[in-house]
Amino acid sequence: MAASPSSYGPRPWTFYALATLFALFVIFLYGPMIAVLILSFQGPSAALVFPLRDPSLMWFDELFNPRRVGDVIGAFERSFPLALIVAALTVVISVSAGFAFRRRFIGDTVIFYTAIASLIVPGLVLSIGVLVTFRYLGMPAAWYSSALGAHLSWTLPFGLLIMFAVLGRLDPSYEEAAYDLGASRWQAVWSVVIPIVLPGMIAVALFGFTLSYDEFPRSWLTVGSKNTLPLEIWTMTTNVTSPALYALGAMTTFVSFAAIAIALTSIVAIQRRRSGLK
Amino acid sequence: MNRQVRPGSQETGEIRLVNLTKTFGATTAVDKINLTIPHGSYCCLLGPSGCGKTTILRMIAGHETPTSGEIYIGKEMVVDRPPVARGTAMMFQSYALFPHLTVLDNVAFYLKMRNVGKAERRQRAEEMLHRVQLQALKDRTPAQLSGGQQQRVALARSLITNPRVLLLDEPLSALDEFLRLRMRGELKSLQKELGITFVHVTHTQPEAIALADMVVVMDTGRIDQAGSANFIFNRPKTPYVARFMGAQNVLTGTIVHMGEGQLWLRGANGAQFEAATSEAPLTEGSPLSFAVRRDRIKLRTNVGGKAATAPNEVRGVVEATEYQGSYVKVFIDLGSGVFVAHVPDGDFSAAPIEKGDPVVASWNPADINILTSVDKGAAEDPYSDTTN
Repeated sequence: MAASPSSYGPRPWTFYALATLFALFVIFLYGPMIAVLILSFQGPSAALVFPLRDPSLMWFDELFNPRRVGDVIGAFERSFPLALIVAALTVVISVSAGFAFRRRFIGDTVIFYTAIASLIVPGLVLSIGVLVTFRYLGMPAAWYSSALGAHLSWTLPFGLLIMFAVLGRLDPSYEEAAYDLGASRWQAVWSVVIPIVLPGMIAVALFGFTLSYDEFPRSWLTVGSKNTLPLEIWTMTTNVTSPALYALGAMTTFVSFAAIAIALTSIVAIQRRRSGLK
Repeated sequence: MNRQVRPGSQETGEIRLVNLTKTFGATTAVDKINLTIPHGSYCCLLGPSGCGKTTILRMIAGHETPTSGEIYIGKEMVVDRPPVARGTAMMFQSYALFPHLTVLDNVAFYLKMRNVGKAERRQRAEEMLHRVQLQALKDRTPAQLSGGQQQRVALARSLITNPRVLLLDEPLSALDEFLRLRMRGELKSLQKELGITFVHVTHTQPEAIALADMVVVMDTGRIDQAGSANFIFNRPKTPYVARFMGAQNVLTGTIVHMGEGQLWLRGANGAQFEAATSEAPLTEGSPLSFAVRRDRIKLRTNVGGKAATAPNEVRGVVEATEYQGSYVKVFIDLGSGVFVAHVPDGDFSAAPIEKGDPVVASWNPADINILTSVDKGAAEDPYSDTTN
């Protein structure tokens, strides 16, 4: 802080108490992740605990050459597209619903609460429900069908809440100005509304992606015979006892961080462009 | 969208509203309005918030559909037409500049929607920006502009559509006082230069008087009075208009006698009023309200006897004085209400009046303006003293 504390007397003891509490919180939040990251470079001793001996990349190599480890690559090849599809659908559905909810219509409150209520339903219960329903309908469970639906039940409430806030705050005169200047309804949406709410849409996509990418309970019974990444990791914890587990944790965390970084950078870039800070 | 129906500049921008009504649920925002705004005039819709003036503007623009009634622009009935086919352009209160586009792209938006080529689009938009003296800022985004600059961009964006009617929704309300006065002048000269119809919604009476060829005073969905600024200011028709235009005292008396073109009234506390008969049919014994301009009041401090004897006099005690520069506003408590006189600066300093002084206020019979409806009291009228 630029202001010197001495001019206003010493900081109260509560400052130090709360600062310590916050520091502990941050350590608790990121400590495990950092521990996993460090231990993923464990040497051939294959110890699952500290200390780190003879750092190497061998467990990452192990990951991509599945001899003992499970089907990590295959699981990633399901989880990643699933997360992308979930993100895309969440954006499309949330934006459309956001438009619909800008005006009141009969049953709007009921629909809203129905959509939000799926946040409360326990994921495992929902997973069982989806599986039972698919069985009853005679359809096989797969990541691209039953798991996709289960994931959407989780991501949509978040997407809807964000888009309702974004579109609800959008001044209707932007569209009216567009109509005034000869835009059709589609043109008004594409040339005016979508660009204005784009940062919100990126945020929704980010939520959709990360929520789906590391979703466990809703995937559990709905992915069918082939696992998604979180399920694969879970399986590995029961039968793999090598730092390959940590290497996998480090990799998936990296993918999540990359997604967040891309999303935030693009939002910041859009905002900077609008405020003219090139 | 039918792009061929856009009117050419030779068409007239006369606006005619016929029995125009708009209801929102149970509330009637606009109630059977009939109004003709002549081509090329500067018209101000004046009234407090919620009086329906913005709803009228939005119906003319095509952003609101009337519940019933007709809107003609020129000879064409435009109710079923989309905004762009009406030959109107609207300037929004918030300006509604597109935040993701540069100033130039904002102005060129209309041309882009009409598939005009990029080179021509840029050129025409730059010409328009030149006209509002903003060509230097063409590559900025709206967020980088001041309020006044944003307004000019909004103007340029509206005018590039070559409208015959420009609709302005409280265009000056977002500006500070200094800028407001400057933009007011610019709007007026722009309207003169373009010769198109301007319809300007405002709740500020000085703004309307300064700008308008035609002032339309509105009250809860109805038009109370429409006419030239000068006429409305001097000859308000109703107590509401008199109060809203400001600078008027509204008094009520009972008709005691009529004859020979004269009218005698008896007011509160024994006051007597004498005026020329109005055209309205009147009966003896019925109440009648009239307005007197505050700057036509003469004050004297030698009160004399107990009751007011001469006609067109009221007496009271000075409640407060307020210096206004060229005149002093003197508030007088009549017992039956507050009466205000505007005393010229020089006269006031020659014979200063202080709080608590008993005074007699008088005026000429010719300064009495008979109102068509009886005053229902100003107690709950929040606009009785907002202006002048």
